[in-house]
Amino acid sequence: MTERRTAFGSPAASLWSKISASLPPDEGQFPLQFSDKVPLSVVEMLKRARQELYGGTTGAGRVLNAQVILDYSWERLNTGTWRHVDKEWRRVYSYGCLFKAAALCREAPSEEGIVQAIRTCDMGLLMGAAIMGNILQVIVCILQSEIRKLAKEEDDQDHVEAKKRKIASSHVGLIREELAVPRIKCPSLESFNANHLLPLKPVILEGIIDHWPALNKRPWRFVFSRSTRIQMNIVFLDEYLRSVAGCRTVPVEVGSRYTDEDWSQTLLTVNEFIDKYILNKGQVSENGHKAVGYLAQHQLFDQIPELKEDIRIPDYCCLGEGDEDDITVNAWFGPKGTVSPLHQDPQQNFLAQVVGSKYIRLYSPEDTEKLYPHESQLLHNTSQVEVENPDAERFPEFVKAAYLECVLKPGDLLFIPVKHWHYVRSLEVSFSVSFWWS
Amino acid sequence: MRWFGFGFNAFAQICVQEKSDKEESSSAVRVPTQLKNHVGRSKIRASWSRTASLFLDEDRRVRLAGFSASISGESLGPAVLDTRGCEDAVISETHLTLAFPDRIESWDLQSKDEAPSWRTEIVHRSQSSDVHLPLVPGGYVASEPPIFRPLPSHLQAKSLALGGGHAILLTAAGAVYTWGQGSHGQLGHGGLIPEEEPRTVEALWGMSMRSVAAGGWHSVCIGDGGDLYVWGWNESGQLGLPSRGLRKTSRQKSDLQAGGLCGSVGTCPAEDPHEEVFISIQAFPALVDVSPTCEIRTVSCGSRHTAAVTTTGCLYTWGWGEYGQLGHQTTASLDEPQCVEFFRNENLHVVDVVCGPWNTFAAAVEKEVLDLKNVPESPL
Repeated sequence: MTERRTAFGSPAASLWSKISASLPPDEGQFPLQFSDKVPLSVVEMLKRARQELYGGTTGAGRVLNAQVILDYSWERLNTGTWRHVDKEWRRVYSYGCLFKAAALCREAPSEEGIVQAIRTCDMGLLMGAAIMGNILQVIVCILQSEIRKLAKEEDDQDHVEAKKRKIASSHVGLIREELAVPRIKCPSLESFNANHLLPLKPVILEGIIDHWPALNKRPWRFVFSRSTRIQMNIVFLDEYLRSVAGCRTVPVEVGSRYTDEDWSQTLLTVNEFIDKYILNKGQVSENGHKAVGYLAQHQLFDQIPELKEDIRIPDYCCLGEGDEDDITVNAWFGPKGTVSPLHQDPQQNFLAQVVGSKYIRLYSPEDTEKLYPHESQLLHNTSQVEVENPDAERFPEFVKAAYLECVLKPGDLLFIPVKHWHYVRSLEVSFSVSFWWS
Repeated sequence: MRWFGFGFNAFAQICVQEKSDKEESSSAVRVPTQLKNHVGRSKIRASWSRTASLFLDEDRRVRLAGFSASISGESLGPAVLDTRGCEDAVISETHLTLAFPDRIESWDLQSKDEAPSWRTEIVHRSQSSDVHLPLVPGGYVASEPPIFRPLPSHLQAKSLALGGGHAILLTAAGAVYTWGQGSHGQLGHGGLIPEEEPRTVEALWGMSMRSVAAGGWHSVCIGDGGDLYVWGWNESGQLGLPSRGLRKTSRQKSDLQAGGLCGSVGTCPAEDPHEEVFISIQAFPALVDVSPTCEIRTVSCGSRHTAAVTTTGCLYTWGWGEYGQLGHQTTASLDEPQCVEFFRNENLHVVDVVCGPWNTFAAAVEKEVLDLKNVPESPL
């Protein structure tokens, strides 16, 4: 290796030495095995990038080679439907991210360079497939601890103004008692199974997620503690998420409903998302309304394992037939006013409310015909009806459908049985975690 | 006629660049560069990593440049390949298809097999004069196996262009059919769904088209009047319509240059007196104004860029420019057609253009030669 080791001991050199320690010791032990789906010309590009990773060329060339790999595999990832894209292309994409992130950290990277390397790793974690024992996860951890070291040296003034914000008061009295989803405290597995899971009856379980570190021991405890002031909770949530995940890139839905014309998805860092959409520093969109941003249905806990430590999979999931690894855990983090249109999912769902509150309405699958699902294949699991403002002329049957409703509060765990239609609107800044299981 | 190439060159498929101080330039040719040893008339075809040149004046041989041709000691997969007498060729990342007067052969470029992976005989000589690859008698050759795909005979195909996951076909009567993936509007039927069978592009019904081309996720065609129609994905501005992604990038750059006065993207109302309309996906054909005064003669698409030649001999390019494939001597992307000044400055008249996925090849003649010899409009 021709790596300049003279700078060893300076922060940058120690960052690179940590990264190179996580890589195979030499080129020969660095695997590049692909099926014949990947043309030899692309493999040649990968080999060149590998050679440069262990060689002594200058930084610019290294990034460029990695970029060629990223650009080519990106085109393949976007050709055909996601399900049909050969997994090999997701692996190639991850290699591109690895080479680019490594190149960015090679020579005394600036803070901006490290942030860019983290973003690169995240793109690999979001769109690629795991390679070399999930090495992108290993590298992103190294980079994050580096950023945190730098961040500690900086002042935290930015966050003070957040504390002055006013949060909408809670919405008690919104729910009609006869339509309320029943609530029970810590039922036994048998009783939950017999009374709710087997008959597929929605229920809110109380006292189940109180033991989560997120609500209890670890930093999230500030989020949901004896503290009486909700706005404090959110400030702490912001700061906690910023410190753990601030420069991580996540997918964000922009637009109030995914059925809207102008709805879109974008990639932002957690810091950008909080600034723009939670703290409302965001811009006014073209038609004068504030755009709503929602970090929705994202497997955040797989991307950032540190956060996984703060939650627990509900024991009731063991009543399902699937393995614990088959449970899909999604994060839902957004401001007041995010709306999930009335839709159904093909799995059982536990929705855990960690911060803020949400209004939820539930319809039985027996009433599907009265709910007017979209006819297109893409949206056939979504109702055309605006639940809280239904068009009685177009959808006359809708008002005849029976429903249950509730306001989900921090500490609540809502059981949404498989195929049950649900409509969700956040009443304030909200963080929920959903568990899909079978 | 001289051929010039620009854009992606990581495999030296345009030219062999000397290692210079500017390390970054080695995979991108930003200035149109004349291809060596291209005398007389020739056809060019390009895949991502290779260029195939068919020399029409000599013994009609195909020569490859680029990946593996550039690696010393390692020749092209099928070493026995004799290309003499070739009339047309197409090349993909894995296959080279050659049309001869009596046969069509597809060779797997990644195998050492001594026989083509697919071949067909041409019985009637009259058939071969019609061969216009990738069309072959009874169907067409795809860029990956299965190589041969049949086409319904009633279509009477005149030419065919293959995109990333879709196809566009021109019939003898000037009608346009598309099929394949439709996720980005590339089929032009107004929706985003795939089509298994060729389906006529109804929006163009009644108008006669004379040429079609396809990119990774977009399609273009030239009408009889020399007007240009585009549809599909505009992610990099490849349709020549306003692209939000490009405006964002260019604004971010100008923000930086302005010292970051504007806090975040899009917060400068002074810059946007009028509400801008951006096109992300154009699911129906749209007329695009390349040059207000002249007609389009030839058009070709890269994976995310488009190049068109006017009847007055100007080359216009737009779309993705990251590897210099637009020829404007930068790596910026463009969402409106822009004339490639290089040829004008060199007093060259562009007569043909062929895009590889990430690069562009243009054929040009000296303006004086053109005037003297009164070269016919059609180049080949």
